[in-house]
Amino acid sequence: MAGKAGKPSRPRKADKDEEEQPLQAVLVADSFNRRFFPITKDQPRALLPLANVSMIDYTLEFLTSTGVQETFVFCCWMASKIKEHLQKSKWCRPTSPNVVHVITSDLYRSLGDVLRDVDAKTLVRSDFLLVYGDVVSNIDISQALQEHKQRRSMDKNVSVMTMIFKESPPGHKTRCEDDDIIIAMDGKSKRILHYQRAQALKRLHFPMNIFHSGSDEFEIRFDLLDCHISICSPQVAELFTDNFDYQTKNDFVRGLLVNEEILGNQIHMHVTKDGYGARVSNLLMYDTVSSDTIRRWVYPITPEANFADLEGQSCTHSRHNVYRETGVSLGHGSQMEENVLIGRNTMIGANCTISNTVIGANCVIGDNVTLDRAYIWNRVHIADDVKVKQSVICDNVEVKHGVVLNEQCVLAYNVVVGPDITLPEGTVLSMHHPDEEDDEDDDEFLSDDNDVGYRKDKTKLKVFNPAEVGSEGKGYRWKTSSLEDTEEDELAECIWGEILLNQFLYHGGKLFSNLDKVMLEYNPHIAFRTVWTWKRYIKMYLKTLVEQSLYVSSQLLKKWAPVFKNYVKRPQDQLDCLASMEEVFLERETHWAALVKVLMSMYQLEILEEEGIMHWFNQGSTTDKSQQLRRNQGLLKFIQWLQEAEESSEEDE
Amino acid sequence: MPGADKETDLSERIESFLSELKRCGSGAGSLRGSAETARETTALLRRITAQARWSNAGDLMEIIRKEGRRMTAAQPSVTTVGNMVRRVLKIIREEYARSRGSTEEADQQESLHKLLTSGGSSEDNFRQHFAHLKANVIEAINELLTELEGTTDNISMQALEHIHSNEVIMTIGRSRTVEAFLKDAARKRKFHVMVAECAPFCQGHEMATSLSKEDIETTVIPDAAIFAVMSRVNKVIIGTQTVLANGGLRAVNGTHTLALAAKHHSTPLIVCAPMFKLSPQVSDTPKLSTKNFENTTTNRFGNLILSKVNAHCPVFDYVPPELITLFISNIGGNAPSYIYRLMSELYHPEDHEL
Repeated sequence: MAGKAGKPSRPRKADKDEEEQPLQAVLVADSFNRRFFPITKDQPRALLPLANVSMIDYTLEFLTSTGVQETFVFCCWMASKIKEHLQKSKWCRPTSPNVVHVITSDLYRSLGDVLRDVDAKTLVRSDFLLVYGDVVSNIDISQALQEHKQRRSMDKNVSVMTMIFKESPPGHKTRCEDDDIIIAMDGKSKRILHYQRAQALKRLHFPMNIFHSGSDEFEIRFDLLDCHISICSPQVAELFTDNFDYQTKNDFVRGLLVNEEILGNQIHMHVTKDGYGARVSNLLMYDTVSSDTIRRWVYPITPEANFADLEGQSCTHSRHNVYRETGVSLGHGSQMEENVLIGRNTMIGANCTISNTVIGANCVIGDNVTLDRAYIWNRVHIADDVKVKQSVICDNVEVKHGVVLNEQCVLAYNVVVGPDITLPEGTVLSMHHPDEEDDEDDDEFLSDDNDVGYRKDKTKLKVFNPAEVGSEGKGYRWKTSSLEDTEEDELAECIWGEILLNQFLYHGGKLFSNLDKVMLEYNPHIAFRTVWTWKRYIKMYLKTLVEQSLYVSSQLLKKWAPVFKNYVKRPQDQLDCLASMEEVFLERETHWAALVKVLMSMYQLEILEEEGIMHWFNQGSTTDKSQQLRRNQGLLKFIQWLQEAEESSEEDE
Repeated sequence: MPGADKETDLSERIESFLSELKRCGSGAGSLRGSAETARETTALLRRITAQARWSNAGDLMEIIRKEGRRMTAAQPSVTTVGNMVRRVLKIIREEYARSRGSTEEADQQESLHKLLTSGGSSEDNFRQHFAHLKANVIEAINELLTELEGTTDNISMQALEHIHSNEVIMTIGRSRTVEAFLKDAARKRKFHVMVAECAPFCQGHEMATSLSKEDIETTVIPDAAIFAVMSRVNKVIIGTQTVLANGGLRAVNGTHTLALAAKHHSTPLIVCAPMFKLSPQVSDTPKLSTKNFENTTTNRFGNLILSKVNAHCPVFDYVPPELITLFISNIGGNAPSYIYRLMSELYHPEDHEL
């Protein structure tokens, strides 16, 4: 206000200019992570079909219906495909109200790089919307936009960004667990005071300064879902340029909040109650968002609306959310129970049962097929007697007869799965061998016209394993550790925790140079996920130890001595350690000889003390097996030796 | 080049109209009444006639049919668009026939006599070129536009004949035609109106507010009370989204309930609908038209329940013609059994399928 008094004519002109600025948007069509590998080895994530329409179309439709008039699409991985798709789509027609510019570069590694580029090229003149290419939403953000503009005009340029959140109770299926956040906000001005990724944190800490912000209404909310839609001011791009270490939005938000006193920038938020907004960040979210679209939660973006104006894609909507496009033929006795979308020219055989499924175009499905929560893309051939449950089947896959796909299987492009095989839960098959990527890390990002010939020469053509893909199958199985498919909570913890440890252990701890660092690095991760006590750690270590040869195990033990010492401090801890050792060895009778050696080394490394060992040994054993263990020759000898050692040390004193 | 500019301008307009149609149902798009849609469609068709390249009536009809198909595909539930396209096609046929000099009578619909006497299909397929055809067609479309603008007034003028003093009238939801009808009658008569609120969008509330501003005594009742209150009602006056060829209605949900209750109490059911709502479809196909219900209510139930729950919110009801007493349109009052005849005057049978 003070500034305005001094210059009467200019601010008015500036206001007018601001009002006439068309709304711009920055669409980041690359997620900079590998959640959807190996599917995204062949097709960028933004072009994967959700209810038979590419995901980027949903985002562009959302932007256009909000009134955005100019969109900048930034692509890195497989940019040429995205560009081609957009040029053929309705967004690049001359009559489109939203002008789309595609900007590609191989150098983008994160959201930060994209925004720095935006700043360098000064593409945005005023407030812009920042979204990812896989956001599906029908939220009306005009109110949020107005509030944002008002805030900025009132307090000159203090508010930098407005994030859009949706109210969503914990446990709701559209909440992505990886995205759980806790937000402390000022109730009146809707300013964000504290932002933290929750991810199953058991304890939370809130800095005191959030309560000093001068307002008297605070809310601490856990029921918010981040829609990944933000209204940003041009300063956001500048801030990213100034701070080179801001890579993700999370960094940015936390950085701003921490530096608030210095820079004075604030972030506000807008919470919407109706309206649907979600980001397809992993396969579980893909499942959820797909089924929500079919069940019309994202109205008016529904399959039969054909909002992307694709030729021949119009479908009819019948009872129970069954959508059929043109040219679909159904065999005798086949039932489309509910929430089904069938693409054009698809032929379905007799006596099939289909529910909660999306089927793409030009598919051929045989007789007696059961599809439940299956996502089948284009030109897929499914033979007779196949059962598919909650799986994704990509383009051009052939599934031969008698195959059963259990939950959360993924068949990537061009895979063939042989007859009469049952794929266990969580199988991922792809024509790309999983080891391919280990050889070339950076190369993948740089060259997106895959020099296929080059690669083939490099890796010897590995033979397909019939146990994994069936006798006529083609494809390689990807270990679940290379994906981050979120499974049910407990399963995830076990697999994740065990695998992490195993990876670490097998690599001989080469991931971290310093074992102290191990304790720091691993503790937070594992602690958040589970209520693992260190007892379990010991068990894990021991298990692996036992499996190795003697020489290796002694080496490993020496290496891990500090870790053990860190945990085993009090006498009670020693007892616990010994108890877990006992458990481990009880499982492996053949390794009892090793028990002595392990005990010996532990004693010598001063992890365990005589008293502890004696105490444990003298403890009454409950099961026959443990009694047997205590009668083991080697062990008895060791105990004897220990006792002598004790006596001798006592004598010395 | 001016020609090319015109064409791109034309296609731009068509595109923007199509996207408006597609977003028509949501909150973001502008909520328009069917009269507005009809007017805009006709204006767009007039523009197409003026700016597109065609040399004879056949070409023009092809162009209009093509655009018409696109428009109806964009939003199938809005039938006024298709109706206007058919009207324009009929206009073109008439103008062509007039230019050719043959009398209108001869080219009229197939009567039983014609079926027996005429041999085979009708005349040429509109390939002759006439210089003044364009101007004539555009003039006729202008007349159509004027007619469209006057429909509500024409209907309201008939209000005094149907509404008497101290009557209790029931209506449902919000119809601009019925609103104008009642307001016109209220200038000279005193009567009482009961408005059924028509959940879940509760448009009846807006109707009641608007009526009460004109000093009409209004009561809002929930949908469940319709049958209970019906014994006190003298007449039921409703609007509709579409009038079907058999005399039935496709109206806002809850209308079928209202019609059944009225039939039970032998209360006359009067439908106020302008002629542009008349559609050649016969009866409602099983295709649903559903709108999104606010999902906040179901959000509260959380994860487990939501995946097993389907929330349906149908927008339209089908009301069979037996339940309707009278249609009041801009050309006067008609019985439902006469609707098919009116339709034959408006549309040519070959245009029923675009």
